Amino acid sequence: MFEYALSVMIFLPIVTGLVMLLFPLSKETARITGFIVTVAILFRGIEIFLSFTGTGGMEYVESRSWIQSLGISYGLGIDGISLLVLMAGTVLFPMLFTIFKTQPKGYYANLLIAQGAMIGAICATDLVLFYIFWEVMLLPIFFMIGLYGGSKRLPATLKITIYTIAGSLLMLAALVYVGVSYHTQFGKWTFAIVQLSELELGGGFAVLAFFMFMVAFAIKIPLFPFHTWLPDAYTEAPTATTFVLSAIMAKIGVYAVIRFVMPVFEIEFARFAVLLSLAGVTGMIYCGLAAISQKDMKRMLAFSSASHMGIIALGVFCMNVQALTGTLFQIAAHATSTGVLFLFVGLMEERMQTRKIENLGGIAYRAPIFATFFAIAMLASVGLPATSGFIGEFLIILGAIKFNAFIGILAGTTLVIGVCYMLWMFQRVFFERSNERTENFQDLNLSEALTFLPVIVLIFAMGIFPQAFIKKIEPAAQQQIAKAFAMPQAQVAETIVPTPGHNNHKE
Amino acid sequence: MEHTSTYIGLTPLFPLLGALVLGLMHMLTCTKTRLPEKLYGVLACVGPLLSFFLALVIFYHLKGLPTEERFLSHNAFTWFAVGDLHVNMGFLADPLSSLMLLFVTFIGSLIHIYSIGYMAGDKNFGKFFAYLNLFLGSMLILVLGSGPIVMFVGWEGVGLCSYLLISFYSEDTDNVLAGNKAFIVNRIGDLGFVLGMSFLFWAIGTNGFDYLSLKVNAHNLTPAIGITVCLLLFIGACGKSAQIPLYVWLPDAMAGPTPVSALIHAATMVTAGVYMVARFSFLYTHFPLAGSVVAWIGILTALLAATFGMFQKDIKKILAYSTVSQLGYMFAAVGIAAYSAGIFHVFTHAFFKALLFLGAGSVIYALHHQQDIWQMGGLKDKMPTTYKTMVIGALALSGAPLFSGFFSKDEILFSALASGHSGIWIIGVLVAGMTAYYTFRMIFLVFHGEPRDKDLYEHAKDAPPLMTIPLIILAVGAAFAGVLNLPAIFGGSLTISHWLAPSLVEHHPHVSIWIEILAIVTSVAAFAIGITIAYKKFAHGAEEPVYTGLGKFGYNKFYVDEIYNAVFVQPYKAVGAVISKFLEPNVTDIHVKLSSWLYQKAGKAFKVFQVGYIRVYAIYMVIGLSLMSLFLSHSIN
Repeated sequence: MFEYALSVMIFLPIVTGLVMLLFPLSKETARITGFIVTVAILFRGIEIFLSFTGTGGMEYVESRSWIQSLGISYGLGIDGISLLVLMAGTVLFPMLFTIFKTQPKGYYANLLIAQGAMIGAICATDLVLFYIFWEVMLLPIFFMIGLYGGSKRLPATLKITIYTIAGSLLMLAALVYVGVSYHTQFGKWTFAIVQLSELELGGGFAVLAFFMFMVAFAIKIPLFPFHTWLPDAYTEAPTATTFVLSAIMAKIGVYAVIRFVMPVFEIEFARFAVLLSLAGVTGMIYCGLAAISQKDMKRMLAFSSASHMGIIALGVFCMNVQALTGTLFQIAAHATSTGVLFLFVGLMEERMQTRKIENLGGIAYRAPIFATFFAIAMLASVGLPATSGFIGEFLIILGAIKFNAFIGILAGTTLVIGVCYMLWMFQRVFFERSNERTENFQDLNLSEALTFLPVIVLIFAMGIFPQAFIKKIEPAAQQQIAKAFAMPQAQVAETIVPTPGHNNHKE
Repeated sequence: MEHTSTYIGLTPLFPLLGALVLGLMHMLTCTKTRLPEKLYGVLACVGPLLSFFLALVIFYHLKGLPTEERFLSHNAFTWFAVGDLHVNMGFLADPLSSLMLLFVTFIGSLIHIYSIGYMAGDKNFGKFFAYLNLFLGSMLILVLGSGPIVMFVGWEGVGLCSYLLISFYSEDTDNVLAGNKAFIVNRIGDLGFVLGMSFLFWAIGTNGFDYLSLKVNAHNLTPAIGITVCLLLFIGACGKSAQIPLYVWLPDAMAGPTPVSALIHAATMVTAGVYMVARFSFLYTHFPLAGSVVAWIGILTALLAATFGMFQKDIKKILAYSTVSQLGYMFAAVGIAAYSAGIFHVFTHAFFKALLFLGAGSVIYALHHQQDIWQMGGLKDKMPTTYKTMVIGALALSGAPLFSGFFSKDEILFSALASGHSGIWIIGVLVAGMTAYYTFRMIFLVFHGEPRDKDLYEHAKDAPPLMTIPLIILAVGAAFAGVLNLPAIFGGSLTISHWLAPSLVEHHPHVSIWIEILAIVTSVAAFAIGITIAYKKFAHGAEEPVYTGLGKFGYNKFYVDEIYNAVFVQPYKAVGAVISKFLEPNVTDIHVKLSSWLYQKAGKAFKVFQVGYIRVYAIYMVIGLSLMSLFLSHSIN
């Protein structure tokens, strides 16, 4: 069992999900089965977190050759970079099965399949294996939005599908390029990321492949200007799917950049870091500004989530250990704040059949527990110190200042932009006068309150004792930065400023 | 030389625990049967009183140590450590923070007691005290934090409490908007603070990011970075302490319950910016240019706010503008490197301004939430205790000789004169006169003359002892707190300045006694002129004037709120609307639109070949096959 810990976490939910689809089960049985499976995964996740030593290397390694002729292996492992992404993918999942109680069987089955595939993508240490899980995790999302989404779900599904297929195809082509390059340089086939990082790529093709990877991941993150699928998809998707998309799947995009792009394309990465970080900051500001004029709470949160993802992505491009650690920490922290806010909105929608901000008001008087929990998650989302949201955001801003003072200052504006739309929304939904719709709003009952309580505790725990998390991820971040950007400065300078006509004078 | 002592970390913990307990109690019971107010009241006062006790213990502990060893520190745990950045959840009690600690916990406790009376009967009684406890806990973290990042925890915490308490009566949209404004404006300041911290860290923070290590490494700062850091941190101070251009939130903050205005928006939180500049005295002393900016912004804020204060009619707004104005004095002091004078004014101001607000609260309480001074009058016979204590507060605020405010304000004006900042000194004296004028305009209109609203007047009476006793205690402080820092000319020895010396980096100028006398004479004259004009105009009854010309301009606060709204708020919303209504559907999406357009066009283009005749398709086949065989024959050869 221990040896195959990761495989179990991947295939238990996938198999359960498929079995659920095949056999006629009642909704309730499906929900309870799903709950039990995700709780089992949760315990495995916690066990992995606790026994994780955090020395910087891969732990829980599984490796088996798979398609030998092409050097493709079934390689899994967890290190400091993937640890918190894995936590985000396991810890909050059982909540989905206790909050949304009346959904069809397929809904629960798809959630399970999505979870398994996401864990696979997080744990994969082989590029091809990663690609496969990456594709698999998109399928359940496609079905969930298309089948169980809101009234405008079909255009949203179409858009997200076109986007992701475009991204996937680009990634596939780039992946082949990387494999072939390795074969040319070293004379053998492999897709294991450790070996691929030894590659020395250069020239126009490398830049092209770099951008193909980046576009694929930028779509998922989403990085400006590839975010346009997000508002529609997040709004139309059933809330559990929105949660999965924003709290976990978006993070896998960021994670993949750190895991695969950074070590393989270190020169291109350094060369285009300013451009990419500008995309991150622009997205943060753009989506943050867009959020203020949204009338639908969920859509507002969608823009808010995209805005935060801009900052999280920025941390990767700053190429220093503070910013990278900040991103890795924020990946988990963002799930506890924005992810949970989505769940709260889903709950409100179930109770009041509306998400329109203008139809709400005065909920705080009716439902003090709900309002308090919502406020705590909201404050975490705007980065109040002592909540989970502060440390990551601060580290990213700190790192960005070192990377480029101008970008750092722009990144800092997230402090202001976030509170503007959040407070105004909170005012119109929870304060002011109540109306007949909100008059009868039921506060969280005991089981709901107990479901959310662990997250609320986690928000404070991550804010007050972040070191418990950081000490496990920081060594890996150090190593990643050291390995990827240890090249001599001269080499970077040469790639960044190519002398015109350089080649002509070579002879 | 620093000593470790674990117990100082407990100081903020008591009110924080109180907040947790009270908050849970209120949250779980407020929609059902409400718990008795006595229970809340008692629980609410436990935390602040325990903290006050600890503050005394810390003070005497420090006092027992040799002067240069007066640093107690406690590192509770490593908060986070990434690369060179190592941040402890650490606390530092030194002369500066222990002085702040003493009056914050003392006034905090008094205001908790007063609030039990003031808030009686409110349906959110428990919530109010949970917030108030949370505020005190955050304020203590702010004061005790051993480095800028821990200070920032308290800094944002008090901002949050301020927001929660301003929008306390949240059914009224205006109150919530005032709360939002406070939070957002403060956040703009916090942006400066965070950026300042970041630049500071990369410059000198890698060997330890707490005050004591930073102080040691401060000489490594280059002027460019040093001045940038000082100014960025000062933006943070401008937000929290309501200075130009971020002062606009404080007058609106009066929407909160009056004890909150007294505690948060007068005595403690708003002075955090001054405290922060004093805390970083080792930076500001090095960079006098940054100091001058601080001083000038401060004194100009003092002038502007005093101007607005002369025209207000809401009793709390008058006090709010006077707070902004007094904060301006404090910044003028710390800007010209007279840190102890600034902190001394923070100290005395806490007493007399808390007193004035609580007195105003008693008046409002007695008049059933009437706040317009043009509806009051003659209350001195109906509310003798309130009257007497408020007059003491007003005398202290306007700098009447021998009251506490006189000594602290005089210390600032003297320092400005002595260090050659004569411009600041002149404006300072002018503002002193204006302060005396608007303060006594308020006192005369409220307590003297004939009652303007007979009905309200008849029912007015002094508040219950729970509320008047804190007034009396504060009045004693407002009258006599000045003796703690008597200058030599009055036979004292600047006790507080000497006490603060180990924490601050400052030089006391030595100048002739005539300059000292000049400073005293001018400020006494300014006081006398101000109070005389107020007496002539308002002591014997006056009607509300209709402001015209410049008066109207001042009455409307130079339309700054309207200008901000037009320049910042509306464009912000407009940009948001443009993005979501126009850019997002039409422009940003261009690559998606373009690809689907391309697909359609390509489809149309290929449609041409689909003619529907078998003979045409046969030709296509022949062409295709020929091309294939051509290609094959090429590759075989």
